[in-house]
Amino acid sequence: MTALTAHPPRRLNSQARAGWFFLAPSLLIIGVFVIYPIVQSLWMSLHDWSFFQTDHPFVGLNNFVEMLGDPRFWNALANTGIFTVVTVPAQIVLGLLLAVRLRRTTWWTVFLRSVFFFPVISSFATMAIVWKFILSANVGPTAAWLRGVGVSPTDWLHNPDWALPAVIVVGLWKNIGFTMVIILAALQDVPEDLTEAAVLDGAGPWRRFVSVSLPSIRQALLFSSVIATIGSLQVFDQVYVMTQGGPLFRSETLVTYIYEQGFTEFRSGYASAIAWGLFLIIMAVSLLQLRIFRYRDVD
Amino acid sequence: MKTKKALAALAIAAAVALAMAGCSSGGSSGSDGKPVQLTFWSGFTGGDKQAFIDLVDSFNSSHPNIQVKYTLQPWDSIAKKLPTAIASGSGPDIATPDYNVATLLQYANNKLALPLDQLVGSGKDQIAPGVLPTSLSDPFSVKGKLYAAPANFATLMLYYNKDLLDKAGIAVPTTMKELQDDAVKLSNGNGQYGIALADHSTIAMWPILIWADGGDLIQKGCSALNSKATVDTVTTWSKLIHDDKITPPGLAGQDADDLFAAGKAAFEINGPWAAGAYTKAKVNFDVAPVPVGASGKEVTLGSTVPMIVSSHTQHPKEAQEFFAWWLGKTAQAQLAKAAAYVPARTDMANDPSVTSDALVKAFTSQVPYSRLYLPTEKDFSKIDVDIFTPAIQAATQNGDAAGALSSANTQLNQVLGCK
Repeated sequence: MTALTAHPPRRLNSQARAGWFFLAPSLLIIGVFVIYPIVQSLWMSLHDWSFFQTDHPFVGLNNFVEMLGDPRFWNALANTGIFTVVTVPAQIVLGLLLAVRLRRTTWWTVFLRSVFFFPVISSFATMAIVWKFILSANVGPTAAWLRGVGVSPTDWLHNPDWALPAVIVVGLWKNIGFTMVIILAALQDVPEDLTEAAVLDGAGPWRRFVSVSLPSIRQALLFSSVIATIGSLQVFDQVYVMTQGGPLFRSETLVTYIYEQGFTEFRSGYASAIAWGLFLIIMAVSLLQLRIFRYRDVD
Repeated sequence: MKTKKALAALAIAAAVALAMAGCSSGGSSGSDGKPVQLTFWSGFTGGDKQAFIDLVDSFNSSHPNIQVKYTLQPWDSIAKKLPTAIASGSGPDIATPDYNVATLLQYANNKLALPLDQLVGSGKDQIAPGVLPTSLSDPFSVKGKLYAAPANFATLMLYYNKDLLDKAGIAVPTTMKELQDDAVKLSNGNGQYGIALADHSTIAMWPILIWADGGDLIQKGCSALNSKATVDTVTTWSKLIHDDKITPPGLAGQDADDLFAAGKAAFEINGPWAAGAYTKAKVNFDVAPVPVGASGKEVTLGSTVPMIVSSHTQHPKEAQEFFAWWLGKTAQAQLAKAAAYVPARTDMANDPSVTSDALVKAFTSQVPYSRLYLPTEKDFSKIDVDIFTPAIQAATQNGDAAGALSSANTQLNQVLGCK
C-alpha cells in the first residue's frame, strides 16, 4: 500500500521538475522585470522613498492618505476617466465600422487595412512629435493652410480646453487599426451556415449583423475593450510628448502625474502609491467589463 | 552532487577572478604606465553637443595619463539613473546631474557628490582664488564647501529679428515699456507675433521680466508672488498676451525657439546656444541687452550647469585635475569659440577669445547683471513646475493675473514653510 501511494507522486515530481525547468527562463524574466518591481513598488509606497536618500522611513499608509487629499491626483484621475470613457467606445465603434466596411478582401481593402494598421506598428513617441508639428498653430502645415483660406487656426495643444480632446483624437488614430484587425479576424470566423440560415429565415442585412455577427464576435469585442481600457487608463506617451500634461494640468493623466512625482520630484514612494491606486482601478474596471460581457457564459 | 560542488567552486573562482580584474583596472593611477580612465555622464545633447565632445577630446589628447570617457545621455535619463548609480558604486566619476542648479543640493546633502576641497588654490592643477565668479561659486557651495564646477556659463539677451524691426521702422528697445509697445506693433494677428515668450519646459524667461521691474518670486525666504511689483509686471504682460496677442500663450521653450527661427516672432529672450540654429534658419538677427524695467537696473538670467565628482570615484585627484583644466583659460576660450559660451572666469573679459567674437563679447558684457534662477531652493522643481508655471499660464490664458498669483502665493508659502 505504502509503495503504491509513494510511487505516483515521485513520477509527478520528476515531471513537475521538467516543467519548472522549461518555465525557468520566462519565470526568471517575469520575476526580475515584472514581479520584483511590483513587490518593490508596494514596499516603496509604504515608505518615504526618494532616490537621493539612503534611509527610507516607514510611513504606513500616509502616501495613500496624501493621495486622497491631493487635488492634482483627482484632476489626473478625472482626465484619465474622460480619456477612457471617450476613447474606448469610440475605438470599438470605429474599429467595428472599419472592419465591417473592409470585410471583403480585394486589393483596395487590403491596401486600406494596411493604411489603418500602420499607426499601430509605428512608435508613438515619434508619431506624437509629428502630430505636434501638424497641429502647431504657429509653424504647422494645418495652420498655414487655414490661414491661407482666411481662417484663424486654434492652437490646439496650448489651449486648456482643446489639449485633452486633441490628445484623444491622436490616440484614436493610433489605436483604431488594432481594434479593426481583431474584429476583422473575428468577423471572418463567423460561420457561413449561420448567415445562410438567417438569410433563409428572411433576415435583412441589419438584422443579420445584429443577431448573427455581433453575438458571434462577442469575445473579440470583449478582448478589444479590455485592452483599450487598460491602454487608456495607462495613457502616457502621447500626453508626455504632445502637451506634457499642460496647459494648467488640463491634459495631465495618472501616469504622467506618476512620472512627474517619481522622476521630476523624486518622490518615488508617493509615485508608487498612486501607481497602486491606478492598479486597483484597472483591476476593478477589468473585472466589471468581464462581468458585463458575461465572460464565463458558455455559448 | 560532485558536479554541483565542482560547478560552485568554478563559479567562485570566476567571481574572484572578475573581482580581481575589476580591482586592477579600477586601481590606483598611472604608475603602472596605463592611463587612468574617468567616465563622464553629460546631458549636453542640444546644439552645443559637439562643442563639449571636442573639449573632452582636447583634454584627452593633451593628457596621455588621464583619459575621459564621455557619455551623452538625455537630462531626464541622468536625473533618474545618477543618484542610484553613484550610491551603488556603478556610476560615473564625473557627471552633470541636472541643468537646474538647485538639484546640486540633493547630491551634496546626501553625500553623493565629493566636496572639491583642493580645486581652488595656487598649485599647478588648481584654479587661483577669486577666478571663479562668486555668482557661480556661491550657489555651488553647500555649508561653505564647493561641490561643483560650472560646465558652462551663459547669460540671456534679447534676440531681435532685424528684418521685422526694419520693416516696421522700429529701433531696438532699451526699456521694458518700449519692448511692450514694439511687441504690440509687431503683432499682426495673422501668425506674426511681437515676442516669443515661453512659460514651461524652458530656460526661465518670465522671472527676468519680473526681476526687471523690481519684483521677485521669493524674498527673505518667503513668497513674493503677491508683492506689488510682481503682480504689476505679470498683470501688464498677461494683458498684452491675452488682449493684444503679442505671443501665443502656453509655449514651451522649443515652441518659442521654432517661432523665432521661422521668422514669425520679432523678439525672444534667449541664451547664446540659440544663435547657431537661428543662423542656420537664415534669420537676420542680432542681440541686445534685456531692456531695463521699472527697477531702473539692468538684470538678466545667468545659466550654468554644475559638474560634480561622484563620492564613489576611485580617482578624485584626476577628476579634480580635469576640472581645473576645464576651467583654465585654454578650455574656456575653446568653449567660447565653439558655442559662444561666456568664460566662467573673472579674468577673461579682455581675452582675445572674448573680444574677437561679437556674440561672445555681447553675452560676456551681461555677466555683471546676471543672476541664477532659484539656485538654492531645495524644492526648486515643485516651485517652478507646480506653482510658478501654472500661475503664469492661468494669468495669460484667463487674463486674471492677481487671482492666479494670489493662490500661487499661498502654495509657495506652504512649500517654503512661511506663515
